[in-house]
Amino acid sequence: MKRAVEPLPPFGELFNKFREVLASHNKAVEMIADMGEKLGGEYLFDTNYIERAYAELSTAVWGSIKSFDAFTRGRYPNLMDAFIRIDNRISDMMSNTASTSGEMIVFREDTLWDMYYEVGGKNAGLAEVGNMLKLDVPEAFFVTTHAFDGFITFNGLSERVEALSKTGSVSENDFAALRDAVIGSEIPVTLNDAFDNAIRKMRAKCGVGCSVAVRSSAEEEDGKLSFAGQFDTVLNVPLESTAIKEAYKKVVASLFSLHSIAYQRRFGYDARKMKMAVGCVAMVDAVSSGVVYSIDPSGKKENVLISANWGLGKTIVEGLVEADIYRVKKGREPQILGTRCGKKESMTVLLPGGGIDTIVTPEDMRGRPVLDSEVITDLAVRAQSLEKHFRRPQDIEWAIDRDGRVFILQSRELRLGDGEGERCDSVVKSLALKPTLMRNKGIAVQKGIGSGTVFVVKTPDDVRAMPKGAILVSKRDFSVFVRIMNDVSAIITDIGTPTSHMAALSREFRIPTIVNTDDATQVLSNGMEITVSIDDEGSAVYEGLIGEEQGCNDAKAPSVTEGHEYLRKRYVLRHISPLNLIEPLHDKFKPEECKTMHDILRFIHEKSIMELVDCARHKKASLRGYTAVALDLEIPASIVLIDMGGGLVKRGTNANNVARKSATAAEIASIPLKAIIGGMGYPGAWHNEAVPLRMKDFFMSMTRMPDIHSTSMSSPIQNVAVASRDYVNLSLKFGYHFNIVDCYCSENPRNNHVYFRFSGGATDLVQRSRRVQFIASILKEHGFTIWTTGDLLIARLANIGRVRMEEVLDQLGRLIAFVRKLDALLRDDAAIEYYAQRFKDGNYELMEGGGKG
Amino acid sequence: MVIDDEKIVVDMAKMALEHDGYVVETFLDGEAALARLKEETFDVVVTDFKMKGIDGMEVLRTVKDMYPKTKVIMITAFANLDTAIEALRGDVFDFFPKPVKIKELKASIERALEK
Repeated sequence: MKRAVEPLPPFGELFNKFREVLASHNKAVEMIADMGEKLGGEYLFDTNYIERAYAELSTAVWGSIKSFDAFTRGRYPNLMDAFIRIDNRISDMMSNTASTSGEMIVFREDTLWDMYYEVGGKNAGLAEVGNMLKLDVPEAFFVTTHAFDGFITFNGLSERVEALSKTGSVSENDFAALRDAVIGSEIPVTLNDAFDNAIRKMRAKCGVGCSVAVRSSAEEEDGKLSFAGQFDTVLNVPLESTAIKEAYKKVVASLFSLHSIAYQRRFGYDARKMKMAVGCVAMVDAVSSGVVYSIDPSGKKENVLISANWGLGKTIVEGLVEADIYRVKKGREPQILGTRCGKKESMTVLLPGGGIDTIVTPEDMRGRPVLDSEVITDLAVRAQSLEKHFRRPQDIEWAIDRDGRVFILQSRELRLGDGEGERCDSVVKSLALKPTLMRNKGIAVQKGIGSGTVFVVKTPDDVRAMPKGAILVSKRDFSVFVRIMNDVSAIITDIGTPTSHMAALSREFRIPTIVNTDDATQVLSNGMEITVSIDDEGSAVYEGLIGEEQGCNDAKAPSVTEGHEYLRKRYVLRHISPLNLIEPLHDKFKPEECKTMHDILRFIHEKSIMELVDCARHKKASLRGYTAVALDLEIPASIVLIDMGGGLVKRGTNANNVARKSATAAEIASIPLKAIIGGMGYPGAWHNEAVPLRMKDFFMSMTRMPDIHSTSMSSPIQNVAVASRDYVNLSLKFGYHFNIVDCYCSENPRNNHVYFRFSGGATDLVQRSRRVQFIASILKEHGFTIWTTGDLLIARLANIGRVRMEEVLDQLGRLIAFVRKLDALLRDDAAIEYYAQRFKDGNYELMEGGGKG
Repeated sequence: MVIDDEKIVVDMAKMALEHDGYVVETFLDGEAALARLKEETFDVVVTDFKMKGIDGMEVLRTVKDMYPKTKVIMITAFANLDTAIEALRGDVFDFFPKPVKIKELKASIERALEK
């Protein structure tokens, strides 16, 4: 049923409502930015602050929806529903009563994006890859944290879990006893039934002979922290009730181990509160598998790094073999830069009745690269789309089945240590005098300097005897190394890959690490004093110790933003800040798709402006009595001017202004508009020529709709100025970005204000945010108060005289014109300053490679 | 020493300060903190103002009685002038409303250690 659309109110009234929408919208956006800043890791905050700030924000968003509703005459009733849905979610979160569906088991396809509390981070990630990105992922069902709670309570284990909190008093034996208790526990009847139903359904999907991988998915696994290799996975479990339930218990039990507790404690997790969801994921009978990093952790962000081996991925993530390594340059058509064919001594295969085996790789397969160029580029493309979707570098596990189908098994944020790799001079000098034992051997995983005594590890249990501050040298890597991560100075292995679980942990703990050196255990022996140095130029192992490295190296303590309490409290932001509704012409640009408060505000903003533009473009009835003319300017800015009175110079005494179709710049009487248009048309500021786009940007812009790069602006008018003599409200959309100016400019300085809002762009977020920084640096010079977050900028200036205001608006006009295509040229931070200086000097030329050298 | 009845505050403060090489002990209530103060001296005590049981003012008074040289920095969610004046009268070294910028807190601790 369609709602009857009320007739439009007179334009003046409509416009006032529009301004109300903008004002409430802006206030809410600023609150989000402020919350983001306060919760960004630079402030100490408490729950009280979050509650207070959110209460204010939710009131502001609600107010914004109400005025939007009045402006659009109730055309988007679903927006309030979206608000209520998101608000409930946040309120539940804040009161720690995160509502769950109450389901014991959820299938992958029924898992919604925000069910990470119930299905755990890893499972939620898999669901998102399959459900949202539509990439091939295996069929799966997830046993929820709700089921976990029931299981623990039913078996009377809660008190024993509680006892874990007594730091120091819990031994490995206590953990072993608790694990045994979990494994010996009974599955409650309701969970038992849920398992049986899920198994039946799964058989119907994948066949009776199907088997699954039973994997951990702790509440926050694969969130900000990887938990790489911390918990058990049972591979190739027959899809049969007893086997699945036994595997479930085994995975749950792995939550309780000394090394995983050590990991959790480091980041401030409370082991008592950790909940384990479990995923039962159809087993891919893999011909080959591996890991893709969407950026090369050795520092080349433009490259993708792929590691691969025959069979299942276990050999790669556990660092058991010297795998193939492929480096690929990103782009729509990725280019393979280099292939390093590993020895691939062993491979993991499925056993027919269940379980797996690691076998010696047949001779003819060892020297042969695992992947051909087609698959390599395909993986690189997938990695890029995952990175784009999750907006963070990704660590992706993949497998290819016997039919050649590529499956994504897991995608999580790739953690990269930053800031390391720079050496101070004293260390460089000191190292230069020492004999070199190894140079540029193996693959650098984490940069830094570590100095200490060699401790060779032959079995995982050996690590217990490792002295504090030692350099761990091992044949291969083991994820149990996490136990000693706090005490180790560096790690070197004979074999391994930079994409293993241990490598992920080395980066998380910022331990200088080299893997795959081939012969470290032969070159280095117990008790040797050595120094490991890994930086941008390469890696080296020197004889002897250096003393000064502490002064040069960052402390290894985790940073504030890695703390569990911090991350948990910050969760509310997931429902507040991220922007998912990006492209207005996309069919998903609707209230039902709003996932965050920011989405709601974005929707309001876009639709309000379009409503106004639509009114101007079609000269709707409400405009009766107002003059609406297309501005005939020297620049193709396609602006419609709606005159609220005094905005246009009258033509003769009897001219019928209402009938006018167009007006020139000279006919603008609105003081602020005239100044802005004058600036936009300033010689050289507006560029008609196309700016060369790099492939990445071109690729990015292809995924969006309007064409900013065409030199003509033949697209329908999407720009509107509402003006009177002293006032203008200007909404400009050029390609993918918005400018809004709201300005009052009269003889009385106390009434004068200018508000400028800029957002969006066609290039990637980094370049867009550089453009925003550029704009901020210019406007600051003119006395504006600036707010920026990501690619959004809000600038204000008030209480200045008319003449000064006109000067400012002229500069603002030049800026609006000049930055239209600038983001594409801001390839590094130096370019910001370069163009800012040129702009200040009145030089508006755009140069490819500006700011280099 | 950092005292606050919210884990998030003490955890963040501990991580931020340890990252800079400080030795930090944290407490979620005034009672436990004062018990610890009987065993050990601290150069700086950062305490929340409003806590259940022993509050920030009592911590301040006790610390000053026991160790006049120990500096006390007060943080509070309830920022108003009266609290600040009351705290400053009690010989507090510095005073911050929450959310407090970690950099400013560190600078204040640095100043406290210099004196």
